[in-house]
Parts: sequence; structure tokens; C-alpha cells
Amino acid sequence: MATTAEGFDAHHEEHAAHDHADHKPSFFSRWFMSTNHKDIGTLYLIFAIIAGVIGGVISGLMRAELGSPGLQVMGGVVNFLGGDGASFDQQGHMWNVLITAHGLIMVFFMVMPAMIGGFGNWFVPLMIGAPDMAFPRMNNISFWLTVAGFFSLLFSLFVPGGTGLGAGTGWTVYAPLSTTGSVGPAVDFAIFSLHLAGAGSILGATNFITTIFNMRAPGMTLHKMPLFVWSVLVTAFLLLLALPVLAAAITMLLTDRNFGTTFFDPAGGGDPVLYQHLFWFFGHPEVYIMILPGFGMISQIVATFSRKPVFGYLGMAYAMVAIGVVGFIVWAHHMYTVGLDVNTKMYFTAATMVIAVPTGIKIFSWIATMWGGSLEFKSPMVWALGFIFLFTVGGVTGVVLANGGIDDNLHDTYYVVAHFHYVLSMGAVFSLFAGFYYWFPKMSGRWHSEFLSHVHFWIFFVGVNMIFFPMHFLGLQGMARRYPDYTPAFTYWNEIATYGYMVMGVSMIVFFVNIGYALVAGKRAPGNYWGEGATTLEWSLSSPPPFHQFETLPVIEDHHSADDHISEKPATA
Amino acid sequence: MESIDAMNFGAIARKKLNLLTLLVVAAMAMVALPVGSFAQEDGGVSLDEGSVAEPLETTVTEAEAAGFDYYGPEMIKGQPVSSDEDFWGSMTFQDQYTETGEYALWMHDAILLPIIVAISIFVLFLLLWVVFRYNKRSNTVPSKTSHNTVIEVIWTVIPVLILVVIAVPSISLLAEQYKSPPEDAITIKANGYQWYWGYEYLDNGGFEVISNMMPESDALDEGLPPQLAVDNRMVVPVGVPIRLQTFGADVIHSFGIPSLWFKLDAVPGRINEKMLTIDEPGIYYGQCMELCGARHGYMPIAIEARPLEEYNAWVQSQPGGMTRAQIEAEEAAAAAPAPAEDTTEVEGVRPPVSSELDAPIAGEAPTEDTSPTT
Amino acid sequence: MAGAKNHDYHILEPDIWPFVGSMSALIFTTGMVMYMHADEAAFPEGLWRIILGLGIAGLIATFFGWFSKVVNEAQRGDHTPVVQLHMRYGMILFIASEVMFFVGWFWSWFDFALFPAPLEMVAEGTWQNVIGQEGAATLANFPPDGIEVLDAFDLPLLNTLILLCSGTTVTWAHHCLINGDRDGLKKGLWLTIGLGILFSAIQAYEYAAAPFGFGGNNYSSAFYMATGFHGFHVIVGTIFLIVCLRRTYLGHFTPRQHFGFEAAAWYWHFVDVVWLFLFIAVYVWGGWGAEVH
Ligand code: HEA
Ligand code: HEA
Ligand code: CUA
Ligand SMILES: [Cu+2]
Repeated sequence: MATTAEGFDAHHEEHAAHDHADHKPSFFSRWFMSTNHKDIGTLYLIFAIIAGVIGGVISGLMRAELGSPGLQVMGGVVNFLGGDGASFDQQGHMWNVLITAHGLIMVFFMVMPAMIGGFGNWFVPLMIGAPDMAFPRMNNISFWLTVAGFFSLLFSLFVPGGTGLGAGTGWTVYAPLSTTGSVGPAVDFAIFSLHLAGAGSILGATNFITTIFNMRAPGMTLHKMPLFVWSVLVTAFLLLLALPVLAAAITMLLTDRNFGTTFFDPAGGGDPVLYQHLFWFFGHPEVYIMILPGFGMISQIVATFSRKPVFGYLGMAYAMVAIGVVGFIVWAHHMYTVGLDVNTKMYFTAATMVIAVPTGIKIFSWIATMWGGSLEFKSPMVWALGFIFLFTVGGVTGVVLANGGIDDNLHDTYYVVAHFHYVLSMGAVFSLFAGFYYWFPKMSGRWHSEFLSHVHFWIFFVGVNMIFFPMHFLGLQGMARRYPDYTPAFTYWNEIATYGYMVMGVSMIVFFVNIGYALVAGKRAPGNYWGEGATTLEWSLSSPPPFHQFETLPVIEDHHSADDHISEKPATA
Repeated sequence: MESIDAMNFGAIARKKLNLLTLLVVAAMAMVALPVGSFAQEDGGVSLDEGSVAEPLETTVTEAEAAGFDYYGPEMIKGQPVSSDEDFWGSMTFQDQYTETGEYALWMHDAILLPIIVAISIFVLFLLLWVVFRYNKRSNTVPSKTSHNTVIEVIWTVIPVLILVVIAVPSISLLAEQYKSPPEDAITIKANGYQWYWGYEYLDNGGFEVISNMMPESDALDEGLPPQLAVDNRMVVPVGVPIRLQTFGADVIHSFGIPSLWFKLDAVPGRINEKMLTIDEPGIYYGQCMELCGARHGYMPIAIEARPLEEYNAWVQSQPGGMTRAQIEAEEAAAAAPAPAEDTTEVEGVRPPVSSELDAPIAGEAPTEDTSPTT
Repeated sequence: MAGAKNHDYHILEPDIWPFVGSMSALIFTTGMVMYMHADEAAFPEGLWRIILGLGIAGLIATFFGWFSKVVNEAQRGDHTPVVQLHMRYGMILFIASEVMFFVGWFWSWFDFALFPAPLEMVAEGTWQNVIGQEGAATLANFPPDGIEVLDAFDLPLLNTLILLCSGTTVTWAHHCLINGDRDGLKKGLWLTIGLGILFSAIQAYEYAAAPFGFGGNNYSSAFYMATGFHGFHVIVGTIFLIVCLRRTYLGHFTPRQHFGFEAAAWYWHFVDVVWLFLFIAVYVWGGWGAEVH
């Protein structure tokens, strides 16, 4: 939004880039010892894509298993991972291991690194006119701790975890299944995986908050900050305040498992439900951590391709703040069936539904941004439109689940799975692809094929809807989550979902072909390749930006009315 | 060679194609793996190979010996419908057989579903509208509007009103579901074990019925739905309030029956309790609804709801099973002749609490919610 | 000149410590898993000693190497006012996250204390087949029956006074530093560190002499983990102060620029405040009505 730079010479910067190329660190120090926010952002994105592929392949195995009743794939997976003649229990366990790995990988190692680590690192400094992050060295350890966490999770697949190899606790790691219910080192590796990734995220959060508070270019007040920066700011606060509670909870798991404490063991006066409170106190803010940066990206994109300032900027910013704040007091809507008393349930029902209001403000403000605009359907915009619709579908099923009395029937069914894949695999992932196509040429200096991007969109759109829409029906009919197998009545919709996966998979091939094409043969991209709609500071730089940008800080012009914080003058490239 | 910008990771990828190849291969794997494994349908182990835990004592024989006839498949009321039989039916809730279930179903079908469908369609319509009306060709000059207080207030207030419309029935649904059972409700405790259920008849002598999933072939032989059919059903009286307690013996399980709108976690260290009154005789299937380990998918629940007299007959066919009337008679007999010995009991109007698995009669266990924590 | 930086932010050279540090963390956690499963033959025997040792060594080296660098940069004058401001924010945010970490432990404490096992049911005998049944009735109270608690107004009270005292000595040191009194700074730091060590020593003594063990029931679990993590923070804070003392002897810190010292002092106050909550909630309130050792 904000911000045209005055007295800021982009050409000067571009020349500087070439001078700097001489100082470019060697391969090892550039990628393993980086203190450069753009390089670290790139590392995060590559990491997230790899993790996304792994998580996606795992979900493929899951869809294959669920393609028809009976157990058909799990035996092969067990054998592949080093068993042979998999017993029935080992197969059931393998299912649990796969959904656990899928959930954890997608949440902690795909969406979070991509949104906050990847796009946040790349574009927060650029958008606020800063030369780098506040703590460049700490930025790097945030990344490598995430990698360490990922490795710890991978280790867990190869060691005993109870009924078979690997941690089969679900991504929620509920006690006592995760304590007395899973002997062996696998769950410990999974717990440490969360410790490591969590530590990285906490450090990253302090880094983002500090950067955003202290390193805005002269003249850029908080209320002139682009909405993507706002979204990362709110997200960072959620991370900072929610993750330590998870750290405490999983530390309790660890000591319960290994050192004889009884936090969650009723035999010693502990309470398994305590774990759920602690987990969801983190877990619900976590789901907003996964979507808020997406909201931010969608705001940038919608404004750019409508060639119009964002509608209701302040409302948009404070809606995110409201979502973040209210997000901390709704956690027990994940626990409606554990035996809460009626007043507690009523409170959480009401509080949860409140979040629909600020979210609605966002949806309608995006539409109002487009209203009266001059829309151009470049690939990021198409993904953004898809996002707005599909996120709404996922959001309204959330409102259904929010009703404690209704959730009694839907909890732990595929309705919940449908809900959260609509907001995640369609909400969060659509915003990731939107952001990716929006900024890819900026990051790489090369054009992707707009045609392939649209092809990717349409196939993906059809595929994921085929996968996840039928899950609503399955859930209403009572199909339970975390089941490798089902009664034949559920076959039809499961088959459709599995075919949908194959459609989706084709679109991912298109995606990778597109990236490959762009990197190898893509046209050079100019500084501001989206034209006059793109007004934030990153568009005032070359594509890719120089190794160190803004060596002279840009100055944000002062607008006459305090109300009009959105620059109407296009930035020059 | 053209000069390479420092930031150009494209350049790196071009030099070292490994990463790229890796990603492409992985993407292809995403498609190939599931397709490939889809093909080997008969590779797995099926349940018929005796892999399910040996059922503990079966009570079927005893009950049947005592002349009790279990319902056949024609009495199945609560089970998922296949889309071959009823396409539209397979897309919505199962039919409901409790009062709260009917109320909740109404609330979903008459309030929630129309509202969420309307909101989604409304948003879709607005999106399509802007796409057609405000695309570059139709509207070359973008407006500069970025504020309109009236509209912002409207789209804040209307959702609030919609939510109020949802919240009112939602709160009364909750109140309905939490009605405490009457004094004379029959207490049955469902114990979740890895990986089967045990049903304890606390008001009928305290016997426990162990219920395992039926092997697929047996189920098919009997015309019962595989994966849902069990060897010993949980027999309950119809039309009579049941105080259903749940308890987890090892890890958390969850007692869920879609067609009764009932789901309550079975948590170690606490007894959860909720009232259940079934409207019609029949068989209702449910499953364990909380991840509990390797055979989480294989511990179904089958409830057989029978008229009270038949229920009592079934109870008597169980080892140690006693009807309420029998217990009362016995107590009266025990209390009357020996007042001198056992004063405490008489004072406390409380039956003796013995060490083993029998529990106090109805009315003793706390009625409201029993959860100790928040 | 192109590439000259015209701002006061800190642009750093590439650095290996973040990579070494996170890999050490991974090695450390892996070693911990091996140690915790040392008796299960899942891993080669004794290997955990090497792995765990390696991880700890790597972590220590990282902290040392990393913070030495930061100190050197500070001495070199890289920490312009805005960079110092960053550090202030960073430290405050870090402490905020630590506060939330303790929220987790207090949460479990209050859960146990306010909602002990389903007591009426235990008393009534409805509570029959709880795992570990014999013990069930003892859990009907908090602290569980049979647990003798530490007398809050004995050593814990002393420890409270010690920590409060150390809060004043560190403030004293700070004032001396601001007023250019290097001698007072050293004295204040010495005293604070001494009090910190004394606190830890008393805490260690109390653990050793405590009438209840580490695990086995909710009271001791929550007690040791909450006070233990606090104790760990005291030790970290003490080390932080020792570093400051060493730097004082090396002539670091000026009356106007001494964020390293301030960070240590903030951290110390944070540790102090957590203790006050522990003292009130765990020692005084939590042990109320229980038998005192
Ligand atoms: C990106 C992640 C994300 C997001 C954004 C959300 C958003 C919401 N979620 Fe979701 N949720 C998850 C991820 C997410 N969720 C996950 C991962 C789980 C499962 C975890 C597990 O068990 O493994 C879950 C589970 C979950 C449950 C528990 C279900 C159960 O286990 O039984 C509930 C219950 O209340 C819930 C509710 C909501 C609500 C009310 C919102 C709201 O924020 C949605 C608000 C949005 C809208 C409502 C749409 C737009 C608004 C308008 C167009 C305005 C008009 C609308 C109205 C007036 C209604 N979610
Ligand atoms: C962000 C989170 C996320 C995402 C994207 C997905 C994506 C998918 N998920 Fe899943 N899923 C979860 C989070 C997610 N999931 C969670 C938390 C659970 C619960 C686990 C539990 O019960 O414990 C779950 C559970 C779950 C189940 C239920 C298992 C069960 O209960 O038994 C199923 C079943 O079909 C499923 C399927 C799929 C499929 C087919 C996809 C497909 O859409 C996958 C296709 C792949 C992608 C869409 C990713 C592509 C992205 C990239 C390659 C990165 C791109 C990066 C940039 C552009 C920078 N998932
Ligand atoms: Cu028992 Cu799931
Ligand atoms: Cu939630």
C-alpha cells in the first residue's frame, strides 16, 4: 500500500548490485552461513517446497489407502521402510505414522516456513524499506533449527514407536497415547522435532517484530505499512506467545515418558485433558499463524491487480489484530467432546463464532477493493480469487463446527478434515501459490509462464475440490478421522477424493515444469513487472533486488490527509 | 556470459540442475506413487486372518441359551448409507433417533446449512460480479474509493446478527444435551480398551459385556456391515433415560454414535457422563472417535435398543445380571433383618461399596457433568 | 561509492555459528533420546554418551563463539543506537516468550491444585477402576495425602529474600555504572552473583533434602518442573552476570552504552518475578493445609 520512495535512485541500486556481485560470498558461506534476508528467504522457500512434496507424497499414500475399503497400501509402506511381512497392527500403526507425519510436515515444515520464513523474510524488509532484518545472524539459526526439527521428525520414522516404527500419535500428540501408549524413541524424536522447530520460530518471531517496529523507512508509520507486513507482525506475536506454551506441554510429555512425572497420568493425579488445554491454547493460534500471512499476501495481490488501493485499510489491519487476540480465547472448541461442562461449552461456542466477524470484514473488503477496479487476471490474481472463495467455504464450515452441540456429532469426523483442508490446503496453499507467482520473478529475476500458471491453477482447483468436498459428506455420514479403513458404504466419496488427488498431482507437475522452465529459460523480469497497481517498495527495486538493498534508506512521502495513507502515485521501476 | 545477479537463484539452479531434477521427480512421484499402489489391491492383510484380538468371554451363547434372540440385520437403523442405495442420503447426516439428535439435525438442516450455503453463494456471486463487471476491458479506469463507513458498518453488523441467529438455538441445543438424567435412569458405563469396548451394567449387577469387532467374513455372512458389526452388542432399553458413562482404561477413546447424535470421550482418570434416550428399538452403529493406536479403526460400537421388558430379560440372561426390581428386593431383604450390625449403611442410605466392580445404584453418581477440570 | 551503506543498521558478514548451533541442538536432542532409551537396545550401547557430549559441547561452543562475536562487535562500535534499540526489543520479546513458557507450568500447577482428581467420586467409591487404583484415594487432595510439603516460611522465604536482595544489588551496580563508579559496579555484580549462587545452592540443598521424590504424583511433578525450570533460569542468569563481570574487568561498558549489562539485569529481574509467583502459588498457597516437613 503505502509508499512511494522519494529521492531514491533505483538505478543507482542496480549498479550497486553489480559491484556487490564481486563480494558475493562463496557457495558454502552464502547458503550455510547466510546473514542475508533474501538468501535465507530463498532457503526457506526451497525447504518448504521439498517438505511440501514429501507431505504431499505422504498424503498420496493416504489417499491410495483410502481409495477403497480394506488395507492395501500400508503393508507395502511398512515393508518399504524396513519391515517385512507387516502384521495387521504394524499396518494400522503405519497409518497413524503417516497422518502424523503428514500433519506435522504440512503445518510446521511447509506452510509456516513458506509463509513466514520464506515470503516474510524476503518481503518484510523490502516492503518497509529496510536493508535487512534486525538480527541477521539469528535469522539464519531460525532457518537451520527448522531444518534440524525436520530431521528429528524424519529420524522418528525409523525407530520403534509402540506398535511399529514411527510416531503414530496424530499431529496433536495427545497423552496418554503419546506417553504410556507409545513406547520407544520415536515419539521422543517427534517431540524434540517440535522443540527445535518451535525454538526457531520463536527466534524468528522476535526478529520480525523487532524489524517491523524499528526498521521502517523514515516516514513509514505503522498505519502506512503494507498489509502483508501487518499480517506478519500479528503472526509473529501469535508465535511468540503461543509456541512457548506448546514447548512447556511437550516438555511435560517428555518427562512423563522418560522421567516418571505424572502430568498427564491419572494414576499419579495427572490429567490427560490438561494436555489438550495446553496443546490447543497453542494450536488454535497456530491455525491463524498459518493463514494470516496468506491474508496479507492476498491483500497485496488484490490491490495490485485491481489497480486500486486496498479498501478499508485500517479495518483490514485491525481485523487481523482482532483475529489474533480472539484467537487466544477460543481454544477449547477443539475439545467439545472431552467432557467440558455446559457453561464452558457455551462460552467457547460464542467466542469462536465471534471470529467470523473480523474474517468477514476481510472477505468483504477484498471484494470491495476489486469493486470499481480495473481487474487484470494475471496468475496471482486468479489464485487470490480462488483463495477468497475457497477460504470462505472452509470458514463457514468452521462456524458450523463452532457450535458445541453440533460438533458433538461432527468432531473427529471427515467434516473436520474437510473444514481444515479448505482453509489450509486451499486457503493457505492457494495464498502460497498466489504469493509465489506474484513474487517469483522478483525473487529470481525470471518470468514464469503465465499460461502454465493458469493451467496449474485450474487443474489444482478442480483436483483439490474433488479431494476435499466429498469429505463433507463422509463426515456428515459419520466417517471417523484417522481411520485407514472403512465400511463399504463410504466407498463412493472416498474414491472420488482419491481420483481428485491424481488430478491435483498432475497440476503439481505443471507447477514444477513451470518453475524449471522459468529458471532455465525464463525471460528477464524488469523491476516492476506488474505495472501501476504494484505500489509497495519492493517494486522500486530491480528483479532480483541487489544483494544489499536500500543502502540509502528510502523516504516515504507525507500525505496531506491522515486518512489517505495509500499512495496513488505509481512507483518507478 | 551474461552477468549473473547476486540474488539470482535461477543461475544456481541452471548450473546445478540436481535440485530441479529432484523436485520434478518428486512431483511425478506424487502422482505415480498413489496410482501405482492403487493397483495392488489384494496385497494387504485382511482381518479375517485372525488378527483381531481374541474375543474375551463371549456372552452370546449364554444369552441365547437363555432364550434371548438378538436383532437381525433388518433392525439396523443407525448406519451410514451407501451412495448406491441413496445418493442424496449419503451426503448428509444419518437419520436421528433421539430427541436431541432431531433438534440438532433440524438446527443444522434448517439454520446452519442454509446460512452457510447462502454466504458461500453470496461471496461467489460477488466475486463473479466483480470479475465480469470490473475487469480491465469493462472498466478501464479504476476508481480510487478506499473508504465507505456505511458499508463497513453493514458488513460488520449483519454477520453479527447472523451469528446471533445461530447462537440462540445453539445455546438451547447445548442446554438440551446437558439435561441431567433423572434419578431412576439406568447407568451403563462404556469402557474403552485398546482396542475393544466393555459395557458395564452398573445398575444391573455390574457385569461387563466385552465387545469386539466381528471379522469381515462373519459380518458379511450375517448380512451385517463389515467394520461396524461386533460380536456382542451393547443392549440398552429403549425410551428409558440412560446415564451413559465413559471411561478410558488405557488411552483416550471416544464413544460416538452418529445416528444418536452422541459422542463422549472415554478418558483415563475421569468418568464422563451424559444422558441418552433412544426413541426406537433397533441397532445403531458407531465407532471409536479418538485416535487410540494401531487398531483405532477397528473398535466399532453396536447398540441394540430393546423395549424395557426385553432388556430386563437380556439382563437376566447375563452372568450376575439382575433387574432393578431384583436388586431392590434383595436390598430390602438384606436391610430389614439385620439393623443392629450395619448401622452406618442405614444411616447413609447408601448401599455397601464393595471392593470390586459393582457400583452404587442410580442416583448416587453425581448427576451433572462429572469433569473435574475446566 | 556504490555499496557504501548510508544507514546505521547492522549488516553482518556470513557466520557459521547459526549452522553449528542448530546442528548441535539436533545432535543434543538426538543424544537425549538415546540416553532416555539407553536400556532398550534401540541404539548401539553407550553411543549416547558420545552423541550427547558432542551436542552439549557444540552448544556451549556456539554460545561462547556467538556471544564473543557480539561482544566484539559491540566493542568495535557496530552497535549504533538503533542497533541497541533492536537488542532492547529483542530482549523484551524473548522475556515475553519465557513468561509464556512459565504460564504452561503454572497452568498445570493450578489445574492440579484447583481440580484434583474427581474427588467426590473417589470418596464415594465410584472411582473404582482407575489405573493404579490403590493410590486413587490419596489423590483426592492437593497436595496428595501423605505428601509432606516444604515449609514455605523456612528456606523458601530465605530464598525469596535473597533474590529480592539480589534485585537491589544489581540495580545498585547499574547505578554505579551509569555514574561512572566502576568499583561500585564490580562490587554490585559480585554481590549479585554471590546471591545468585547462594540461591542455587540453597535450592539444591532443598531438593536433596525434600521429603518427596521427583515423579510419581502430580504435586511433585509440577513442583519440580516449575521450580526446576526457574532454577535453570537462575543459573543462566548467573552466568550472564558473570559474563558481565568479566567484561567489566576487561573495561567494557560505558555509562552511556552497556546493553549487555542491562539485558542481564532485565533477565535477572524476570527470574526474580517468576520466583515471587512461585513462592506465592507453589510454596505458600500450594502447600496450604498440607503436612509440613
Ligand atoms: C488456516 C487454518 C484454519 C482457519 C483459518 C480456521 C478457521 C476457523 N475454524 Fe478451524 N481448524 C483448523 C484450521 C483452521 N481453522 C484445523 C487444522 C482444525 C483441526 C485440528 C485437528 O483436530 O487436527 C480445525 C478445527 C476446527 C474446529 C474443531 C472441530 C473438531 O475437531 O471437532 C472448530 C470448532 O469450532 C473450528 C472452527 C473454526 C472457525 C469458527 C474458524 C473461523 O476463523 C472461520 C472464519 C471465516 C468465515 C466464517 C468465512 C468468512 C466470513 C464471512 C464471509 C462473513 C459472514 C459469515 C458468517 C456470518 C458466518 N476449526
Ligand atoms: C497445511 C496443511 C495441510 C495440507 C496442505 C494438506 C494437504 C493434503 N492433505 Fe492433509 N492434513 C493436515 C494438513 C494438511 N493437509 C493435517 C494437520 C491433518 C491431520 C493429521 C492428524 O490427524 O493428525 C491432515 C490429515 C489429512 C487426512 C486425514 C487422515 C485421517 O484422518 O486419517 C487426509 C485424507 O485424505 C489428508 C489428505 C490431504 C491431501 C490429499 C492433501 C493434498 O492437498 C496434498 C497436495 C499437496 C499440496 C497441495 C502441497 C503443495 C505445496 C507445495 C509443494 C509447497 C509450495 C510452496 C511454495 C509455493 C512456496 N490430510
Ligand atoms: Cu479407541 Cu480409537
Ligand atoms: Cu481452532
